[in-house]
Amino acid sequence: MAAGTLAERGRAFLPMALKEAGIAAGIALLLALPLVGAKTVSEGSAFVVTPRIVELAIGVVLVFAGRLAIASLRGGHHIPVVAAALALAALGWLFALPSAFLGVVTIAGGLAVACIGAIGLLRARRDRIPAAARIDSARLPRQALAWLGPALIALAILLPFLPFADRRVMDIAILVLTYVMLGWGLNIVVGLAGLLDLGYVAFYAVGAYSYALIARDFGLDFWSCLPLAGVFAAFFGIILGFPVLRLRGDYLAIVTLGFGEMIRIILLNWYNFTGGPDGISGVPRPTFFGLPFKRAPPEGVESFHQFFGIDYASIHRTYFLYFLVLALALITNAFTLRIRRLPIGRAWEALREDEIACRSLGINPTNTKLTAFAIGAMFGGFAGSFFATRQGFISPESFTFIESAIILAIVVLGGMGSQIGVVLAALVLIGLPEFFRELQEYRMLAFGACMVLITVWRPRGLLATRDPMIRLSRRRAPP
Amino acid sequence: MSLLTVEHLTMRFGGLVAVDDVGFSAEEGRITALIGPNGAGKTTVFNCLTGFYKPDTGRLALRADGREHMLERLDDFRVASEAKVARTFQNIRIFPQMSVLENLMVAQHNRLMRASGYTLLGLVGAGRFRAAERAAVERAVYWLDRVGLTDRADIDAGTLPYGGQRRLEIARAMCTEPVLLCLDEPAAGLNPRESGELNDLLTFIKAVHRIGILLIEHDMNVVMEISDRIVVLDHGRKISEGPPDFVRNDPAVIRAYLGEEEHEGG
Ligand SMILES: Nc1ncnc2c1ncn2[C@@H]1O[C@H](COP(=O)(O)OP(=O)(O)O)[C@@H](O)[C@H]1O
Ligand SMILES: [Mg+2]
Repeated sequence: MAAGTLAERGRAFLPMALKEAGIAAGIALLLALPLVGAKTVSEGSAFVVTPRIVELAIGVVLVFAGRLAIASLRGGHHIPVVAAALALAALGWLFALPSAFLGVVTIAGGLAVACIGAIGLLRARRDRIPAAARIDSARLPRQALAWLGPALIALAILLPFLPFADRRVMDIAILVLTYVMLGWGLNIVVGLAGLLDLGYVAFYAVGAYSYALIARDFGLDFWSCLPLAGVFAAFFGIILGFPVLRLRGDYLAIVTLGFGEMIRIILLNWYNFTGGPDGISGVPRPTFFGLPFKRAPPEGVESFHQFFGIDYASIHRTYFLYFLVLALALITNAFTLRIRRLPIGRAWEALREDEIACRSLGINPTNTKLTAFAIGAMFGGFAGSFFATRQGFISPESFTFIESAIILAIVVLGGMGSQIGVVLAALVLIGLPEFFRELQEYRMLAFGACMVLITVWRPRGLLATRDPMIRLSRRRAPP
Repeated sequence: MSLLTVEHLTMRFGGLVAVDDVGFSAEEGRITALIGPNGAGKTTVFNCLTGFYKPDTGRLALRADGREHMLERLDDFRVASEAKVARTFQNIRIFPQMSVLENLMVAQHNRLMRASGYTLLGLVGAGRFRAAERAAVERAVYWLDRVGLTDRADIDAGTLPYGGQRRLEIARAMCTEPVLLCLDEPAAGLNPRESGELNDLLTFIKAVHRIGILLIEHDMNVVMEISDRIVVLDHGRKISEGPPDFVRNDPAVIRAYLGEEEHEGG
């Protein structure tokens, strides 16, 4: 590109950008006037409309600034935009805005624009480097991924020992890991086998209720119930899978959605067995291989703190639950990584790619899908028992369709089939909104915003690169 | 006795008779070509043979290793796994997001499944499974060498050029170790050099592996050069059958093809 045209563009861009920003601000004003500009307050018995000029003005100014920033970035003015955006975010942080929402928009918006600007700056810089000296951008993420996995595992193991790991952080971590495990389980079904399952929560529920009911009626402890819960969930997976796996795509999605709701409604209505809407309380808490986490254990039973000669602290159980779900999740991961190298795992992926071709190669599609369904369900069942033992109380309310949707969102946004992608998506979709819990209703907004951002920036998921599970080059020519 | 015997094969789609009382046979170690104008019913014959369509009437008998399989009674995947009939598709069907080597490993699924003790032995990494997998990779490499894709083994199959995808599909079919290979227009979209290589590959398979090949092909020159026997279809009916020299001069065939050209021209 000639230098002359660049300079010309630079001069011409300002009026254009101002015009664009002005139009955007005008539209924002029109939209916000009735929605934000007035507020009804009840004063005694009457409603009074009070104007909210300040909020309105700040909102419109923010839209103006944002649009101007985008236009300037397009014009190649990265550095001033990044600086201004960071300054804006800092302002939003330091000074109390009239509402928490405006604060979030200012900070998040400023940071987002700064990030876009910085990325654009890096791109522009990189384009000036001769191609030969450039880092291979396709290989960079793969190299980074090679250490990201082990680094995340190390971080996860060390987390409870870090200074900021208080009760709240640990609870969020347990929640995130539960979803990571569910995501990894569903990843087998959706990501690998390509079967769109909208009712995964059913297997989660089967696992939770299996544990709670077996523990209640037969007095078995967590460690004996865990495999049973997995077996039951897998069994349900096969029962559901048998009739429906002949269906394709959308049809399968609808039937699995129905199945998920069916299980929930059965749990809700079979009062004698499941306790209906009252749920099941007093689900046995986990024991450290037989040692309970109790301040005052029953007669003749030694508790965890007595056995190890330490003072009782309720957080011990939290730590234990954390390591329990971490272990369960890592087992799920190890299993998936292993089975992807086996013929069955390869057949799942091949089925996802082209079922007709699979048939022409002699692969029995029904059996192959059924194993994917059953194994995915089994891990859902494990996660369900964990959920039951962690909560101590379960009811059908915990197993609504929105759970299935969230788990599916984690798999899809993570990048179908990518194990680390699931972790990142769970962190973003579950972890971030939990940290924003103080923002109350805006929490779901953060959830939605995360989803929108991911779909816009990485339509194929956060990590959509797939490495072959078996290679020829390494065998033939060792590096 | 023939490897494949087709008798009275008829397939209707609503009112349209796509294949009308067709019979022919294919032999081991021979290339049998199925030719005819567009819409003649060639692909439909393949779909009936490989179990993707259930024919209205007809007997499709495959005899190999002293056993007889009635193909019209088998499910599509059983035709491949039990009767050992492999096929390629007119619109290429590879696994685009899996590597070239993985495509060939999927083709050996049933053998590897048995060796992996239906996954259980494989999970614990049993030696028997690892040996079977090594053998599978060797077989894959053998066919990669034959089709000239060895140095592309680890790239995504979907990134191969068109001709490479066609060859990969043939290699994948061969990795199932078939007794009958059905190729649906394998030369479509190939340039003359690639087309020549394909002829060499088919001749090699026929000579060295001694399996039967059923070949649908548009290009008369290709067909005349490499086939041992030609079956000509037109509007679902068999209008001629015989060695290339006979078919080339058969007035019925000339009429059918001239008719098509006039039709396409006008
Ligand atoms: N699944 C189907 N449903 C309806 N009609 C079909 C179907 N498959 C093929 N046909 C019809 O059968 C006839 C033969 O098609 P085909 O076997 O694909 O021809 P060819 O491969 O010889 O070009 C065509 O008229 C086609 O439209
Ligand atoms: Mg055809």
